[in-house]
Amino acid sequence: MNMFLHELKTYRKYTIIWIMSLVSIIVLFFSMFPAISKEAEEFIKLMEGFPEAVRMALGLSVENIGSILGFYSYVFIYISLVGAIQAMNLGTSIVSKEIREKTADFLLTKPVTRTQIMTSKLLAALTSILITNVFYVVAAITMASLVETNAYSTKLFFLVSLTLFFLQLIFLSLGIVVSVLFPKIKSVLSISLGTVFAFFIIGALAAITEDEALRYLTPFKYFDLTYIVQNSSYELSFMIVAIGFVAIAITASYLIYCKKDIHAV
Amino acid sequence: MNVIEIKNLTKYYGKARGIIDINFDVEEGEIFGFIGPNGAGKSTTIRTLLGLIYPTRGSAEIFGKDCIKYGPEIKKEIGYLPSEIFYYSKMKVIDLLKYSASFYKKDCGKKIHELAEIMDLDIHKRIDDLSLGNKKKVGIVQGLLHEPKLIILDEPTSGLDPLMQQKFFDLLKAENEKGATILFSSHILSEVQKLCNRVAIIKEGRIVKVEKISTLKENNYKKFKIETMLKIDKDYFNMKGVSDLEVKNNMVSFLFRGNINSIMKKISGIEIVNLWAEEPNLEEIFMHYYEKEA
Repeated sequence: MNMFLHELKTYRKYTIIWIMSLVSIIVLFFSMFPAISKEAEEFIKLMEGFPEAVRMALGLSVENIGSILGFYSYVFIYISLVGAIQAMNLGTSIVSKEIREKTADFLLTKPVTRTQIMTSKLLAALTSILITNVFYVVAAITMASLVETNAYSTKLFFLVSLTLFFLQLIFLSLGIVVSVLFPKIKSVLSISLGTVFAFFIIGALAAITEDEALRYLTPFKYFDLTYIVQNSSYELSFMIVAIGFVAIAITASYLIYCKKDIHAV
Repeated sequence: MNVIEIKNLTKYYGKARGIIDINFDVEEGEIFGFIGPNGAGKSTTIRTLLGLIYPTRGSAEIFGKDCIKYGPEIKKEIGYLPSEIFYYSKMKVIDLLKYSASFYKKDCGKKIHELAEIMDLDIHKRIDDLSLGNKKKVGIVQGLLHEPKLIILDEPTSGLDPLMQQKFFDLLKAENEKGATILFSSHILSEVQKLCNRVAIIKEGRIVKVEKISTLKENNYKKFKIETMLKIDKDYFNMKGVSDLEVKNNMVSFLFRGNINSIMKKISGIEIVNLWAEEPNLEEIFMHYYEKEA
């Protein structure tokens, strides 16, 4: 418990910054919505000026940009990108932070097991993400109800918003595996930005080529928002892949972390 | 009773040598020195004892329990001070110490203040703002605040001024008198000489000798330097027990080992101007030992 609280405290500032960025992005986007929906016709025309490949890569399903859910699924790409960076960053810094700041000796010579250390860190990171999501979802729903005058399904809205959490879970576990495998990471941000953008680009490619198999390669495409809006549910096969990945990544992280040598600096 | 028992402990880093077949015991209540040059394997041994790294072969027991298997349990009674101190730099000293104390199920508040006072440490500063020596003090307080039964120190004195070093040694002696066993690794022999009862010498990953400090000194050489009235035959002192004989004009110097009377008789046979007879310090014994082995 003491380790969990300590970790949580170290993430506090970090969490607040990410919450503020996510909230301001969604506030910014939704405040543009009334203007866009009023002139949806014009906007669609403008969008159709773009080559089709570009539209697909950006995830623009032009037809429904005038409705709040359509608009939301469009801007959500950027939300998920930011969220993925936050989660990956957090995951990557979990273990590597102790090595980089040379505090590993301090923790590991205390009467605790490595499993306990890992669990505390993991739970603290999870809590940070959870808090981020709560603030984000509340902000998003509030904004949506402010800008949208027509009725819309809050359940769908919530289902879409929730994918942020799942996506973050995936990137968090990916980050943790990376950090136990390569604990000497000097710059967490460059690793996490690089990885997240790589997956983002694969996602864009998957969108252009409409290749189903390619979708499995990038978490960004596990949750097809158009599908969710149409079916009010997630795609089962991708959900299984996501859960499987998280489970394997976390288990592997525990195993590696418990077996590895912690070298002197 | 042995607090630490190390049996054939071996660690390879890939193919690189860490330590090979380390064997030694540390008895309850003693201050045990662990000496060797940099890279000899002192830290590797200590880090294995603490379960920071896993041995390739062999095992070590602390308080009669395997140090890897029962690591968390054993560590309740171990205080560890690493050679280089790095702590959560954004924390205040007192917060770090409290965090450290929170791992042990006892009230360490009083001990923290007591130790901080002895070591003259300002506990309300941020760790960032501390000098190297002051960070070291944080390490010392952190290592001792739960009154451990075994104190493991890995080259602990770097960065401490002589006055603080003395206070620190007094503190260690006091803890030792209260019953704590101490394993003290160092490459500075004079501090080991000051503090320890027994010593293990490690070289290139192997233990070359485990000996009482007193025996180490007894069994050893005395240093003689003699200024003679007249030039003497350079083989005059070439007798049993004499080594490193050097004759330069009227100055003769050599190391002597053996019955002191025989050398005194020999000296009385010539006219001398001055005489110096010195106990070699541990450093010289050690160097001698080391060179002989090499």
